[in-house]
Amino acid sequence: MRAGGPPLQQGTTTANATGGATTTANATGAANATNGSAAGVGPTAPETISGWLGLGANPDPGVQFLIGIVVASLIATVFLGLAAFAGIWGKRKITAAFTDRIAVNRVGPFGLLIIVADAVRLLSKELIVPEDVDRPAYDIAPMLVPFSALLGFAVIPMGSGLQLADPETGFVFVFAAASIASLGLLTAGYASNNKYSFLGGLRAVAQNLAYEIPLVVTAASVVLFAGTLRMSEIVAAQAEPLVTVAGFAIPAWFAFVNPFAFVLFMTANLAEVGRNPFDVPEAPGELVAGYMTEYSSVYFVLLYLGEFLHIFLGGAIVATLFLGGPAGPGPAALGLVWFMLKVLAVYLFTQWMRSAIPRVRIDQLIEIGWKGMLVLSFANLVLTAVIVGLIV
Amino acid sequence: MSLEEPTGERTETHLTGVTEAGLDYDAIADLLGDRVVGRETHLNAEAFVVRPDEVQEALFALRDEAGFDHCSCVTAQEYEDRFESIYHLKRYDDPTQEVSVVVPTPRDAPASQTAEPVYRTADWHEREAYDLVGVEYEGHPDLRRILLPETWQGHPLGLDYDQDRPQIVTLESHANPLAEDQADDTGEADTMFLNIGPHHPATHGVLHVETVLDGEQVADVRSDIGYLHRCEEQMAQSGKYRHEIMPYPDRWDYVSAGLLNEWAYARTAEDLAGLEVPEYAQVIRTMGAEFSRIAAHMLAVATFALDVYGEFTATFMYGFRDREVVMDILEDLTGQRLMFNYFRLGGVAWDLPEPRAEFFEKIRDFLDELPGKLDEYHDLITSNEIFQLRCVDTGVIDAETAKDYGCTGPVARASGVDYDLRRDDPYGYYDELDWDVAVEPDGDNYARVLTRLREVEQSARIIEQCVDLLEDWPEEEREIQSNVPRTLRPDEDAEIYRAVEGAKGELGIYIRSDGTDKPARFKIRSPCFSNLQALPEMAEGEYIADLIASLASIDIVLGEVDR
Amino acid sequence: MSSNRETTETGTADAQPTDMQFGEARSASTDSDGPAAEGVVESTQEARMGSGADSRFNSKLRNAFGSSPFILTKFDKFMNWVRGSSMFMLQFGIACCSIEMMHTYAVKHDLDRFGAGVPRASPRQADVIIVPGTIVSKFAPRMKRVYDQMPEPKFVVSMGSCTVSGGPFQQGYNVIKGAEEVIPCDIHVPGCPPRPEALIYGVAKLQERIAEGESAPVTVKPYELEQFGDLQRDELVEHLAADIDEDTLVMRYNWADST
Repeated sequence: MRAGGPPLQQGTTTANATGGATTTANATGAANATNGSAAGVGPTAPETISGWLGLGANPDPGVQFLIGIVVASLIATVFLGLAAFAGIWGKRKITAAFTDRIAVNRVGPFGLLIIVADAVRLLSKELIVPEDVDRPAYDIAPMLVPFSALLGFAVIPMGSGLQLADPETGFVFVFAAASIASLGLLTAGYASNNKYSFLGGLRAVAQNLAYEIPLVVTAASVVLFAGTLRMSEIVAAQAEPLVTVAGFAIPAWFAFVNPFAFVLFMTANLAEVGRNPFDVPEAPGELVAGYMTEYSSVYFVLLYLGEFLHIFLGGAIVATLFLGGPAGPGPAALGLVWFMLKVLAVYLFTQWMRSAIPRVRIDQLIEIGWKGMLVLSFANLVLTAVIVGLIV
Repeated sequence: MSLEEPTGERTETHLTGVTEAGLDYDAIADLLGDRVVGRETHLNAEAFVVRPDEVQEALFALRDEAGFDHCSCVTAQEYEDRFESIYHLKRYDDPTQEVSVVVPTPRDAPASQTAEPVYRTADWHEREAYDLVGVEYEGHPDLRRILLPETWQGHPLGLDYDQDRPQIVTLESHANPLAEDQADDTGEADTMFLNIGPHHPATHGVLHVETVLDGEQVADVRSDIGYLHRCEEQMAQSGKYRHEIMPYPDRWDYVSAGLLNEWAYARTAEDLAGLEVPEYAQVIRTMGAEFSRIAAHMLAVATFALDVYGEFTATFMYGFRDREVVMDILEDLTGQRLMFNYFRLGGVAWDLPEPRAEFFEKIRDFLDELPGKLDEYHDLITSNEIFQLRCVDTGVIDAETAKDYGCTGPVARASGVDYDLRRDDPYGYYDELDWDVAVEPDGDNYARVLTRLREVEQSARIIEQCVDLLEDWPEEEREIQSNVPRTLRPDEDAEIYRAVEGAKGELGIYIRSDGTDKPARFKIRSPCFSNLQALPEMAEGEYIADLIASLASIDIVLGEVDR
Repeated sequence: MSSNRETTETGTADAQPTDMQFGEARSASTDSDGPAAEGVVESTQEARMGSGADSRFNSKLRNAFGSSPFILTKFDKFMNWVRGSSMFMLQFGIACCSIEMMHTYAVKHDLDRFGAGVPRASPRQADVIIVPGTIVSKFAPRMKRVYDQMPEPKFVVSMGSCTVSGGPFQQGYNVIKGAEEVIPCDIHVPGCPPRPEALIYGVAKLQERIAEGESAPVTVKPYELEQFGDLQRDELVEHLAADIDEDTLVMRYNWADST
């Protein structure tokens, strides 16, 4: 069905096409044969565009770069917009819904214009750079945080053909990119010359170390199932129906195939994005505002948006690895919609946790990470390996 | 920190002066022997005058031989010819058994022996006495100003204080108090000093906690108070008994606990002036006060959730949602949401609002819904496993330490100290009603929250019985106010200390009258003041997050701490 | 807060022009055009803020162009709308009023309906400080510091009688007679304490005034933070000289003069 697909892909990663990759391509090819329309290994967005422009799949590097920039800006804009929407308006409305309130409803319809007002106001505030901060670290940190999240989106297949790049090692790339954020948080913490920021920064690093490993190890169990590190193929592997109940086909999303891994991953992801019960780096009430205590105006916006972008990146990873990526009923063109809905569902989940669950103490957090999550995630990995080895 | 003396050996059976009929003051006088240089009769208890250099001996004897283990208050005051410190002693087992120790010191050298080795709680009380009145205590470990800035000139409650003199207050960075002890070869301490407050989301107002951190753990913690010292005692001393003092108690513990505070003043002044209160008014007072307690405890639980959960979570909002209902009822009753000014000496300001049936129905609706709401709180808070992980066995204070610090109220009851003035020193209508005192044995943060939730239940029981009584009260007997002279002038040199069970614990007032229509000395014994003093016992060695939780679980109100 | 705010990026108050109206009638020259000529209110401002009264409403563009062409007027209008529609509040509690303030944020009254219900614990991220309660001598320097730590444009709602005049505690030996003795206030909400409805009205009124580009921070007799060495030498200063360093920040209260 997609005879043309895989060869195109091989074109982008020519040097890396090894024997192992060929076998996985075969596996996904089989999956595509059964249900190729919902999602699958397709051309990346830059390739599609250059196809439209009649330049062929593989024009000269300069043009590739240019088109890549265009698509990257598009994706960044979409998610920055989403972050503004969810971070300013959505967060208030969701929290309000959990707490019996209404929240913004005066500025524009449903209070939606608050997004404009808030964004412009925050950007136009005075930018205070306190005495004795460590520059330029103080200035770089707020950029690192959203940057790392946006970088991660590059390899996420969002459906409707929107994927910037689909490297062989997309899975590794997305986790690597996401974890740059802890560097940003640490830098923000120590550069601010504020003890609360410092504590927050250190906590952020301790937390990310403790939860990154279970996160990746749990995700690795998905890789065992899918047999590939390429994001688009992981999505494709989830396309076939698991069981059919009363005419409804339940797809083989890894959340259904391995619910245990899904729960582990969601938990570790909460810690990764720093939401209750793992919001110790910010810990309002203890550390004032944690690592962002000293930041105002634009820098604050960057950190604040970065936080939400990370939640979305977390949601995107969850959607891709466990929820079938852009898969959903209806034509494949609706893939982006389904994908966004899944991302927003994960976002809603983090907000729910934030409203209802207490925060654990830092030592308990580390303990849960190293003694609980890590062990469980390895158990999950071994178990998955055994099952995959025996059955598949 | 350790207790000064092992206190376990005190036995109940051989207490001097304690008899079935009450206190035998002569036996106590014999016990003190020739340390007593004089004897006074205060309205609440006998007072023994002790030489300034024998304070500790006398207090040790009273504590160990006669079982007065509760130093509820230290009052200092200045007379024309002398300074005086009064130690108000009680027994936790029976607070109606009281004795006072009066220590006079000369005007030119106002120094007496400190009581700090006997009662830890005397530490802050004596610092306050030094700060506001100017009495010095020899041997005190840390005799600095406590409420006023360090650079303040003069002692404002002294007789010759000139209020119009300019003052200079500094804004300095604070130094790490452990720096010297811990300095290593490079001369730098490996601990970090952290100012929590006076503007910090976790301090519930303007408390300043000087914290020394060793990593994430608390190595040392000292509370710096006085950022809301708004001269409540001076205000009360410049008001007339009848009407001008009553508005102020509302503002001591301002979290809707106003009626409880008003009752403290009402009870003290009524006993001082010998006023009767009609039974009907007592029932209304009891009902109103318990509503205040519910509102106060709900705020305590809500803000505790704020500190443990994060900002503006569901629990916090639910607490406020339910408080709104209580405040509505209190507004119907008193006419104000927060600062009620509803009690009058000898009764209350007005009868229940008309139509009465509607008012009762509103209360009953609230009472009917309350168990469901409490279940919700238990779901969200006390039975949440993460919450238990956070709060069980953190911030522990045991019963003996709590007593040593003079802790009262939910803080003491959560440590297993079965002490509730509503039952032990009955006033109002409490002794006619059927209710229990909530006591938890563990003394941790969790127990303190649980105690408050259970007290809300008990308050609801009390209210229900009051409503039943009020509904059936015959119309012609609804007397809300007894006859009170237009101007109250209690006898000259009458002295009294009386306490009620406020939302936070024993809220006591000492009044000395000088025959005029204004008190000569008006001293407030704030439960939060004593409870907050015990914070280091709970927090040192714990994590900083537990320090925040402990602070929240003590449920301080700075208006009452600083007065 | 442990660190001081010393450096600012967008300029300090006295580097900005005085004009805060975007109207046609007045040309917004970059120099101070004599607030004294503006009447009593402005002259008090002058006394309080030095030359260049209230610069909070001015944009850099306005500063650069130096006059008021149409496009900048529209821009100013937009900016005022922005600032009036959305504000982060400083999570700041002092006394009794803070209880009613919390109720204003919470379920029934829900200040966030007006886009003003997000409390930020750090002053760096706040636009509005609601001063909810009695200010006493020990706290005033700290409050001044917190106010200074907030980024411009910032606004002050003084809540309750204590912040108007000292309220019921006015006669106290330790009580500052109103928030305006320490920081400039935009809106006073009287009451002891004001009901949540009153506070909402106050905030809504503040938003309205911001949206219209009006503001009148007036301080009657300010207590300022200054270095101890700069104080006029008198008996009290001499007396304290041994205890306080020359460069320590202090606030001096002249109780006899405050009203």
